[in-house]
Amino acid sequence: MAHQRVALWAAEPDLDDDINDTDVDIPIPMPSSTNEMYDDPNLQLDEGSLQAMQQHIAQQAAFAQVPDVVKRFIVHFHQAVLDNNLQEVTLAYESGWTRLTEKYYAKTEWPEAETIAPLVNDDQIFLILYRELYYRHVYSRLQPNVDDRFHSYENSCELFNYLLNSDGPVSLSLPANWLWDIIDEFIYQFQSFSLFRSRPASKTDDELTMLGSEGGAQAWSSYSVLNVLYSLIQKSRANEWLKARAEGKTDEEIEEIVGEYGTKPLYRMLGYFSIIGLLRVHVLLGDFTLALKVMENVGLGQKAPFTAPTAVHVSTAYHAGICYFMLRRIPDAARVFTGVLNWVMRARQYHTRSYQYDQINKTADRMYALLALCHVLAPTRLDDNVMNIVRERYGDQMGRMGRGEEGLSTFEELFLYACPKFICANSPPYDDPVALASMLIPPTPTSPSSQNPSVVLGDPTQRHLRTASSHFISLTPVSSLKSLLKLYTSLDAQKLTGFLDTSGAGVDEEEVLSWMMVMKNAGRCVGRVTTGGTAANGEKDNDDGSRPTESLLGGEWMSISDLNFVIDQNMVHIAESTVGRRYAGWFIRNSEHAARVLDGIKASPLPPRTAPTQVQKKSADVPKGEGAPRTTGQKVAWGGVKVA
Amino acid sequence: MAATAAWLAPPSRTELIENLVSGVDRYNPSNVGILEDYLYHQIRSEEYDCLANLAILKLYQFNPDLFNPDVVINILLKALTAEPFPDFNLCISLLDDRPPNSTLDEPDPLPTLLPLVMNLYNLLHQCRFSAFWVLYRSDELEVIRENYTVECAGFEDAIREVAARSVKVTFTRISSERLGTYVDLSGPELEAWVAKQRWSFDSSTGVVSIPPNPDNQIESVVIQEHINLPQLSKVISHTVQVR
Repeated sequence: MAHQRVALWAAEPDLDDDINDTDVDIPIPMPSSTNEMYDDPNLQLDEGSLQAMQQHIAQQAAFAQVPDVVKRFIVHFHQAVLDNNLQEVTLAYESGWTRLTEKYYAKTEWPEAETIAPLVNDDQIFLILYRELYYRHVYSRLQPNVDDRFHSYENSCELFNYLLNSDGPVSLSLPANWLWDIIDEFIYQFQSFSLFRSRPASKTDDELTMLGSEGGAQAWSSYSVLNVLYSLIQKSRANEWLKARAEGKTDEEIEEIVGEYGTKPLYRMLGYFSIIGLLRVHVLLGDFTLALKVMENVGLGQKAPFTAPTAVHVSTAYHAGICYFMLRRIPDAARVFTGVLNWVMRARQYHTRSYQYDQINKTADRMYALLALCHVLAPTRLDDNVMNIVRERYGDQMGRMGRGEEGLSTFEELFLYACPKFICANSPPYDDPVALASMLIPPTPTSPSSQNPSVVLGDPTQRHLRTASSHFISLTPVSSLKSLLKLYTSLDAQKLTGFLDTSGAGVDEEEVLSWMMVMKNAGRCVGRVTTGGTAANGEKDNDDGSRPTESLLGGEWMSISDLNFVIDQNMVHIAESTVGRRYAGWFIRNSEHAARVLDGIKASPLPPRTAPTQVQKKSADVPKGEGAPRTTGQKVAWGGVKVA
Repeated sequence: MAATAAWLAPPSRTELIENLVSGVDRYNPSNVGILEDYLYHQIRSEEYDCLANLAILKLYQFNPDLFNPDVVINILLKALTAEPFPDFNLCISLLDDRPPNSTLDEPDPLPTLLPLVMNLYNLLHQCRFSAFWVLYRSDELEVIRENYTVECAGFEDAIREVAARSVKVTFTRISSERLGTYVDLSGPELEAWVAKQRWSFDSSTGVVSIPPNPDNQIESVVIQEHINLPQLSKVISHTVQVR
């Protein structure tokens, strides 16, 4: 139990004196790189060395300000990384870093990598990892400036360069959580940079110069980000590995398939996480089919091939669900969201310490919002537990959205809240001040700048919003139509038109018929046929549609509406389907829960001597708790332990 | 055959295109010509390959200098015929904001044409087929008809298919007059079209009957739950362990 042991650097400050400080007080050697930086022949030699000296002094001063606990932490952290001691690295990464951040760096940066370099013998690899953490902290707690954005990109490049272009696989081992965070953060920073870049109006001159430079055009380019992810996938042969696993190959065969990189956990996990990273990048760029296509070998809902951090599951489900949502495959989207939300609800107690915890909660809430949207677009019966939370959080909005066109603003609001911040693949023309200036002129309908296609298409998020809301608008007549049709088994189309034309708005029969066709189309959609029991209701097999579809993009036609109708010339015939009560899910959940309780009890040590009274007390308390699961099995379980 | 099989991989797709669509070579800008040629092949021979066309738009997204507005319009018009699949929106999603185009000799036609195509799409998506034909035949759309759809073999028939897909699931019988406005046909042409759909036309009453299919047959059912073995795997395996 590594987490119960207090590491040296986590000790209370008053104990610090007892621990020897010798390895901390290293005099700072002149970093060799500093000299090179000032190798400018135009500079006077004296001036150059003077500046180097000043730099040196400034660094020493900065070093002196670093608290001793932090220094010790860094030394210890470095040693753990050097030793490839996964347990210690995990501990330092998950609790040490977080604790010290809260204590010393809640509102400021961690010390610069150059400052702490002497502590780690200038170990460049460790310094890259340190900067990875340093910049991540800047992005999450502070406001990254333009320098941070460029430098974090350079550092990511150095890291991936080291991993991909060393001679053979590197011997580093890092915990799964960290590896996921590296990939996740890489994409987050890409997204953040793209958003930063896409707003030329609010840039300072400095920022404009940097973005306009050659390096500015290269930094965080879509091609470079995709290149990193694809390279990691290819180097680790993650797809081949997943395929081989699915085919049930033996460990030896798999080892041969994945090669020298893929056998290392570091590369294997990075490769796997990169696939999920690609899913996210494609979603951000608005390519929803390609996003699902790259996930072909990973699949959805299956168990991850190793214990992946919760954040991985959440990110996968969120982005895959968005894809299905944009593909108008609402039941598939709802199923993906429901699956993971149920899982998050149950796993909540296990991941509170993760740095990703807040992020997971935020994403989960977005998924609840998306479920509310799904429910409005295609009301299907979903898992009760999840649906209750959706109603609790978004009940008002769902009510408003159900009221036809006036619900549009609510729909848009909720979509904007729940969707990812989509990005544009390319930079505005920072290298061309004239073109840039022309973009900044607010377009007026008459001016020639309306030639700019952005006027038509808008920024990516607006564009996706527009496609989603146009679908919502087309469905607005459906809800009132539905409530009317529910009252009849057959109804003349003209009479129906009369009912709908209450306000005398001039609704004619043709219009009503087009609504009916829209409604019919909305009541059927393509969805993945699953073998699991959570499939959407009323799933109907077409000719030979009972075969499970492997591909995430594949699917069968299914009917998703409980109200069905058909038109015979002018007569509408209506049939309503009902869902019988469901018991299985409840029964299975509770059986499994009972089994877990039983296992838990059996696994715990025999009670000490005082235990009998406690047990009695406990079982006496139980009947008072309303709705508590019956625990009469408990005594038997204890008895079982005694026998064993 | 899964409902999406032809959409994911149309039988007409060659191996070369398949490799471009499924491999990393899709990012290589020098392949854009191959894909564009394939698009024009689709246009000439009444074929359609959504994923290959999305690959073109992807290359445009990453390489704005490759951007060819005529290709984009053609892709969008092709995607119109895929309703009720969401192809049109998938294409729109990839049309990134671009810096004002200065490399083209002529003014970019996209800003004026895109809203027109979007209007067409909205009418189709809202199943307002008669209105679609009115708009499509209007003077305003002449630019689209003369420059684009005239080249696109079978475009109007493909739109009639869209209407047929909605009619087929909604109606068992429909008056030929109404159907005529949906597909913009009348008289013998309509009769021929109905026959081609394998629907039957009763000339004495003027009513078209649509044969039964899973969607235009309705019945009230009570849906019972099905329990699959995998759902019970935990419970069963636990009982084995307990023993």
